[in-house]
Amino acid sequence: MLILGITTSTAQVGCAIGGHEGVLGAIHSARGRRHAETLTPAIEFLCRQTRVELSDIGAIAVDLGPGMFTGLRVGVAAGKALSHARRLPMIGVTSLDLLAFPLRHSHRRIVCAIDAGRGEIFHASYRQSPGGVQRVTSPQVASPDDLASDLQATGEEVLLAGDGALRYLSVFEQVRRVELADRGEAYPLAGSLVQLAHARALREEFVNPAELTPIYLRKPDAEINWTTRDRAGA
Amino acid sequence: MTVVATTSVDETRDLAAAVSSLARAGDVIVLAGDLGAGKTAFVQGFGRGLGVPDRITSPTFTLVHVYEGRLPVHHVDVYRLEQLSEVLDLGLAEMLDDGGVVLIEWGDAILPVLPHDFLEVRITFGASDDDRQIVFHSVGPTWAPRGDAIAGVVSPWGATT
Repeated sequence: MLILGITTSTAQVGCAIGGHEGVLGAIHSARGRRHAETLTPAIEFLCRQTRVELSDIGAIAVDLGPGMFTGLRVGVAAGKALSHARRLPMIGVTSLDLLAFPLRHSHRRIVCAIDAGRGEIFHASYRQSPGGVQRVTSPQVASPDDLASDLQATGEEVLLAGDGALRYLSVFEQVRRVELADRGEAYPLAGSLVQLAHARALREEFVNPAELTPIYLRKPDAEINWTTRDRAGA
Repeated sequence: MTVVATTSVDETRDLAAAVSSLARAGDVIVLAGDLGAGKTAFVQGFGRGLGVPDRITSPTFTLVHVYEGRLPVHHVDVYRLEQLSEVLDLGLAEMLDDGGVVLIEWGDAILPVLPHDFLEVRITFGASDDDRQIVFHSVGPTWAPRGDAIAGVVSPWGATT
């Protein structure tokens, strides 16, 4: 089965097609003006270059975040639209899992950090497990200083990856036994998404598109206090 | 705090254009005032001051408009929103990171999700139909030090602090 994967949770928008043969093709751009303008032409180009028709695709995989709000909405909406139009099953993968996947050959603790804007990062920790990585802490939002203190306190050998790590390089460089992963591993890759999704597709771990929602992590659960507007409307 | 008065919509626009000279990347401007007070007019003048060539229109129903000027201008109106989470759905975090200026109509209602660093522009009705009183209140690490500069650029409109 061929899977189309869409990653949009960071400044880099990406898509890839793959299956049991591995990744047939992938496109990434971290310089696009708007994800919505880049994604669809990228999918079209990718299909042409891999000689895959949309009708050959058997499942749609999307990057669920956490990450950039607007990007996530574009990616998840595009994935759902394709799924709806072609009646395809869907698979959702956490952005931090995608970052950890290419680092699975490291024996160190892997910490992935995605830029959350407003001086914060989304992060999670992973350990090597047979055939991949296993998440050992759930995704959470924190200040770079808080994560740096945590890493300092555990004293473990850590491999740190993600655009959140790069943005706050000066904070993390001061932590002993923490090594920054290569810049090439700063963003979730659509190829990783296709590979992880393929394993799930084989186990038929599909998600109902209606139930697929981005992971936001820090949505305030409060109503706007509208004393001003209600006074105006009265 | 700086208080000025204008006597027409055009004057409010000119005032806003003067204030725009102080704008920097990442600025948040909260626009407060009842319906028809002139919040959109303020953004129109502000955008003109930043060299936005397009006609700026109310985003009440479209929620966010983005314009390109000397700095990107994000014009937001939260009037139709009910939940604070919806503000984040608009992509507020990315707007703040975009290297532009974010002007938010009815922004005083969503202070819990805004950075504590903004210029509040409160517009109230004056004695005659076109008269407005405009109060500038700068809050936080980048805006508070610009308080005197604001008083300076709006002094033609009779600033009192």
